[in-house]
Amino acid sequence: MTSNDSRCVVTGLGVICAVGNNVEETWKNALNSVSGIHKTTSVDTDKCYADLAAEVHCETLDAMDFPEEKDRASKLCIKAANEALQDAGLGHFADDQRVSVIIGSCVGGVISVEHYHQHGKNANDIPKMPIAAIASQVAETCGAGGIVTNVANACAAGTISIALACDLIRAGRADVVIAGGADSFAAVPYSGFLSLHALDENGCSPFNHCNGITLGEGAGIVVVESYEHAQKRGAKTYCEVLGSGVTSDAHHITAPREDALCLTEAMTRAVKNSGIQKSDIGYVNAHGTGTGKNDNAEITAFTKFFGEENPTVSVSSTKVMTGHCLGAAGAIEAVFSIKALTTDTVLPTLHYTAEDSEALRAKVGQMDFVQNVPHAKALKCVMSNNVAFGGTNASIIFSKEAGNVSCQTAKNEKIAVTGLGIVSPLGNSKAAYIASVEQDSKPESPSIHSTIALDDYKELGIKMAFYRKLDNLGQLQTVSGMRALQDANFKVTDENAKDIGIIVGTSEGGLGATYDFEELITNLGNAQGSAFKFPHTVYNAAGGYLSICSGIKGYGVTITTGPVSGLDSIGYAMNVIHDGQEKAMMATGTDENLPIITEFAEKLNVAANQVVTPYSDSEGFVVGDGSVSILMETEDAAKARDAKIYCYALGYGNGRKNVKFGKIEGSGEALDCAILQALQDAGVSVEDIDAVCGFADGFKKIDQIEKDSLIRVFGDKVSSVPVFEVKERVGEGRAASATLAAAEAALLLSGELKSEKAYFVSKDGSVSAKSVDAAGLNKILVISFAAGGSYSAVVFGK
Amino acid sequence: MNNEEVKSKLKAFFMSDLGVDGDVLNYDTPLFGEEIGLDSVDSLEIISFVDSNFGVSMTGAGKEPFQSIDTIADFIAKHQA
Repeated sequence: MTSNDSRCVVTGLGVICAVGNNVEETWKNALNSVSGIHKTTSVDTDKCYADLAAEVHCETLDAMDFPEEKDRASKLCIKAANEALQDAGLGHFADDQRVSVIIGSCVGGVISVEHYHQHGKNANDIPKMPIAAIASQVAETCGAGGIVTNVANACAAGTISIALACDLIRAGRADVVIAGGADSFAAVPYSGFLSLHALDENGCSPFNHCNGITLGEGAGIVVVESYEHAQKRGAKTYCEVLGSGVTSDAHHITAPREDALCLTEAMTRAVKNSGIQKSDIGYVNAHGTGTGKNDNAEITAFTKFFGEENPTVSVSSTKVMTGHCLGAAGAIEAVFSIKALTTDTVLPTLHYTAEDSEALRAKVGQMDFVQNVPHAKALKCVMSNNVAFGGTNASIIFSKEAGNVSCQTAKNEKIAVTGLGIVSPLGNSKAAYIASVEQDSKPESPSIHSTIALDDYKELGIKMAFYRKLDNLGQLQTVSGMRALQDANFKVTDENAKDIGIIVGTSEGGLGATYDFEELITNLGNAQGSAFKFPHTVYNAAGGYLSICSGIKGYGVTITTGPVSGLDSIGYAMNVIHDGQEKAMMATGTDENLPIITEFAEKLNVAANQVVTPYSDSEGFVVGDGSVSILMETEDAAKARDAKIYCYALGYGNGRKNVKFGKIEGSGEALDCAILQALQDAGVSVEDIDAVCGFADGFKKIDQIEKDSLIRVFGDKVSSVPVFEVKERVGEGRAASATLAAAEAALLLSGELKSEKAYFVSKDGSVSAKSVDAAGLNKILVISFAAGGSYSAVVFGK
Repeated sequence: MNNEEVKSKLKAFFMSDLGVDGDVLNYDTPLFGEEIGLDSVDSLEIISFVDSNFGVSMTGAGKEPFQSIDTIADFIAKHQA
């Protein structure tokens, strides 16, 4: 049985969607087979062939502090989170480092993007736009001071958030995680799915007419708690969360694989990691969007997966009730799954006629595709599945019993860094970056960006038929990821494709592409969206393209928390390896500097008006970008294939002190926590650290936090610790710069960078600079930050 | 607009909106072959472009007219009022 310290239990539920503004109302309507799909009242449907949506109607959505600072997605999420916390008997956490928030979303603050574009480009809209705002504002509301992040894997994001929550609890990094997803219905996704001809004009009809989806909106929250923590406080528990499986199709940016190979693999992993039998699963809440491609692939997956072991499993899609709530879907469906489990009731897919039922039976045989009305069924375990653009598959198991969960099975494995791919405004290769360090290159202007050239594709053997589809972010990510594989001499084959995964960290992800799409449909109307451009609005498209290009079929997650995402990707990737999920992981940081991104920075008064250097006490930073990919493998795997080892990833830590999203002042102590936790995780002390790769970018508010924390943490030693600052060359490239700082640590530790200019911070706060020989460096601390008060630290060592 | 102009406009669209390298795109190059690699998402864009620019609906036209710029131009010529 799962040991108590690895058990995760659900102690609170919250939901808001088209069939209810809370769990009780939603569940009651679900039992009564109520659909929330109606003619939309919130977007322009002129000349559009479909005009249905499942919208939330809630008069109290603004009943929270500072609603004017929040996008509708954040408000939906906070409402559901408040309900879930109340249900769990939990209150305000006062920045408790053991309480985390992980929220999935697909389109984030897209309504604020629309508002900015159509209502005078007001700077107040900007902090509400990125997905990262959602978890940050939930954390700010409830005072969660642990890991605060967002999963941006489009329609699978809600499920992955809950899976990641359990992974972190089982790794000992949190006691309580407020996990879920949120998305709002808006013109961009509406027009986008119209352009793909993926909306059903009559309302979605999953596993039945399969003419397309109907969009919904809402939020679902599941309070996941370590069993021991819940026991200690005498909490009521709904159920256990057992294992999960996350995989990548490596196939197409919007369409699922027909053979459902990787969805089946996700389900296989979920069951294996849970330590249960397939026959233990009584009900599957399917993704069931209502598109032919999705539904047929799922039926193939269910048939292959359950086969003769569980031929009468019950299956349904609840999207006819809620609409497809994108990043919230998995979270809302988790709430349905948990209620189904705990009440021994399986929910139906609605709107079947006798003729439809007959046709379905011909396709699914004995499987119990529940239709029109719920029915009672004794349930032990339920499975909830979601798939997404970018080729993501996610499956998770909720259970009445503790199962036999597999986690941290490779905790003792050393993790080697074996490949680096660097795309930056200085060039698109590791060699170009090293040359720029040796030449002490500086940005040429206060806004710089990376440019992918045809030669990059040629060198990597990427064909035009592939690269023509890439947007700018996808180009940066694909080239840096493929460069990392090339650098590591790692060949992805049919045999190892499932043993390697990707975690992309990004601050703004597809926000630039979302803005472009908004501009397009404002000019041409919602009926004229672009099917070619729409997929780029999802933040995980870049990681999806890398998966397709490389053939990587394992774990695939995109996280977005601001710049810190570029270090979190490394930390979470380490955890995936330690969990025994993959033998190799690509951790990346990717952000782009389109003109609109510089415009946002200028409007927010954080862009410098001239080139600035770290610690220059400036009023802004150079806006940069890039993509950096780091391949990490178990030491055994690296040695088995005789790989070059740059260094080892030794430890990882987080800290959070809540301030408003968009701000950072007043949160600096949390950086101390992140550093100390990373040192502890690495089993080293401050004395062992020989250098720091920092995040100073010249903007004094940011640099001061780094400086003050280093003084506090290193004490008298601080003036002798060299601090390397990558942003003096590449500007503030957010997540890309955070991963670049880690790549720089790897280059210094491996000796590929022989010496470099470093800053030295004195206890009185003054800063000097001199060149430092890399030969004496054995352990390097890498740090990063995010608006809202999140910090992360990673320790790399020889 | 004559047939050559239609083809030229289509080629410009493939280059600007679908990211195709003009150097390898001739009027008879297979669009859904390995080199250009168009897929179902691209065909939606072609349908939308042809409808907006030439007033011809390619919805439900089957695969044949989508083979190359030549075949799309032929389809437009045949169906333009």
